[in-house]
Amino acid sequence: MKAARVANGARVVNGVRALVERVRRVARVRRDGPVRGVPRGSRARRGRALGGGLLLVPPVAAALLGPFLAPDPVPSDGAPYAPDEGPLGTDALGRDVLALVLRGGASALGVACAAVALAVVLGGALGLAAAASRSRRVDDLLIRPVELLLPLPSLLVISLVGVGWRGHPVAVALAVAALNVPAVARLLRAAALDAASGPVAEAMRLQGESRARVLFGHVGRAVLPVAAADAGTRVGTAVFTVAAANFLGLGLDPTSPDWGVVIAASREALFVQPWAVCAPTLLLVMFTVGANLLADGLLGGGAVGGARTGSGSRTGGGRTGGARTGDGRTGGGRGDGKATA
Amino acid sequence: MLRYTLRRCAWTVVQLAVLAVVVFALTNLLPGDAATVDFNEQAGLEQVAELRAQMGLDRPWGERLLDWAYGVAHGDLGTSLVGGGPVSGVLAASIGVTATLAAVTLLLLVPLATAVGLLTGLRAGGRTDRAVSAVTLTLTSVPDFVLALLLVAFFSLRLGWLPSTWVGVDGAWWERPELFVLPVAVLLARTVCTLSRQVRAGTIAALHSGWAVQARRLGVPRGRLVLRHVLPNAAVPGVQELARTGDQLLGGVLVVEAVFAIPGTATALVEAVQNRDVPTVQGLALALAAVACLLNLGADLVTRRLAPRTEVLR
Repeated sequence: MKAARVANGARVVNGVRALVERVRRVARVRRDGPVRGVPRGSRARRGRALGGGLLLVPPVAAALLGPFLAPDPVPSDGAPYAPDEGPLGTDALGRDVLALVLRGGASALGVACAAVALAVVLGGALGLAAAASRSRRVDDLLIRPVELLLPLPSLLVISLVGVGWRGHPVAVALAVAALNVPAVARLLRAAALDAASGPVAEAMRLQGESRARVLFGHVGRAVLPVAAADAGTRVGTAVFTVAAANFLGLGLDPTSPDWGVVIAASREALFVQPWAVCAPTLLLVMFTVGANLLADGLLGGGAVGGARTGSGSRTGGGRTGGARTGDGRTGGGRGDGKATA
Repeated sequence: MLRYTLRRCAWTVVQLAVLAVVVFALTNLLPGDAATVDFNEQAGLEQVAELRAQMGLDRPWGERLLDWAYGVAHGDLGTSLVGGGPVSGVLAASIGVTATLAAVTLLLLVPLATAVGLLTGLRAGGRTDRAVSAVTLTLTSVPDFVLALLLVAFFSLRLGWLPSTWVGVDGAWWERPELFVLPVAVLLARTVCTLSRQVRAGTIAALHSGWAVQARRLGVPRGRLVLRHVLPNAAVPGVQELARTGDQLLGGVLVVEAVFAIPGTATALVEAVQNRDVPTVQGLALALAAVACLLNLGADLVTRRLAPRTEVLR
């Protein structure tokens, strides 16, 4: 048990450190201007963030405004896969592709976003409660069952739940949320422990600040950027997973206008009526690529920063004689342990 | 190392047991069982009830769970409700293709990702690095099925170089390696990107660490430093990412098998879910989840071997 805990702990701690380092570095760059040695990367990164943001505009606009602009697409008497009916032609059932695309974004993006929001709220509450609990037993009780669920393959669960509940969007959202809760809980727990055993929390404690103040005033605030960064990367993955499940026919109803479903339904007609496949695909890819670029651009390629700011702990002591090169703080006690908590 | 291995294995056994219960619970969420699916609409309610009793579906689910767990522990995955054959037979018939697909992908994935990660990591910030990083970042966020459709459209339908589906292939798939090109390419595209990014980050961190600087100061040649000292450390985040790639790979296999109509385990699973064939779903889902679990175990053991310092972080 302990062994697994150590390994898991180390994995999470490494992840958290990298994230925290990135966030800190962004803050530092913002405050002090470009740091020597990184400016080239940082400009490229800003460009990346801008590009990502721009890529996000069309799909998000289609998802938010589409349902108000387009009527519910109904199977018409029109010919299936007619390229000249309407601006983008029709699909296999003779429905207008433009209307489908405008209607489908709400479920394609909404399900994933709702799932991630739910996962962050639940996982955050769980992780912070585990981190704030003083007894090791409560901590174990809260976090261990969650860790057990980590290796569950995500598409497997979604397919079972989706088919089980007849492809209701709420069911799919709940499944995606449940899949993300363990990872979020572990990450935020480790982040909170990291902050709670850092020098600032120690200084606050020495000054006689109350526990609640340390917890909400410092630890809570320190965890926020980590949570935001994590949620950013998770949205992309969630959209992706939901779309894949829908594409496989394991999620929503096969006649729903969801982008994933439409792509799957019209894929045989790729050359006859390319827009039926390309329009939803384009929007979907724009969203996932945009979200990824934006998250990466805002938080930077953490590796360079992490290495530069001396987080030797990540790789400290290797095969070269096992010398510990961490700056002392990083050795024991921090992160997963509760030495000072 | 031995003690660690034993403890880690014990933990995996617990994880597998819990996974079995979760899989059982999830499959019991499926409304409408095989008895209702098996019969056509003319069957009366009594007939359905009779069939259900015959299949043992009317017993309390705790009893069924114990029964099933006992069977699984003895290597008996139960009987398929639809085909009537044993579930292990379904698994055995389909696992070959899926395992080959995954093995070929892994075999290509590891050296490729290590090479790309090392190359970009050693020249971090340079032109090569920025170009490759932009490509990998974009490719990671393109959904598997979109990539699969694009590749099929271009290479099979436009150029006609490669077969677009496995339809009509029966039996001797191992004699036709060209069948594997597109599926493996789709599976590789995303996994290479995520993995190489981890290796790149690990390389950069290892190169800038104090001990690497000291080794360079002592005159360790660059090639030796990179291969002997940096690479094992750089591989640590990579190996752990590889375990998580298991999930991605599994999802990818589901998609790829669906797009290319490959008669593998994932296809069998999707079919079983649609037929409400509960024992088959349970058996296949458990097998796939166990593979993911074992991948995790392997990754942790390899990590431990490469960099035995994790205990410091306790």
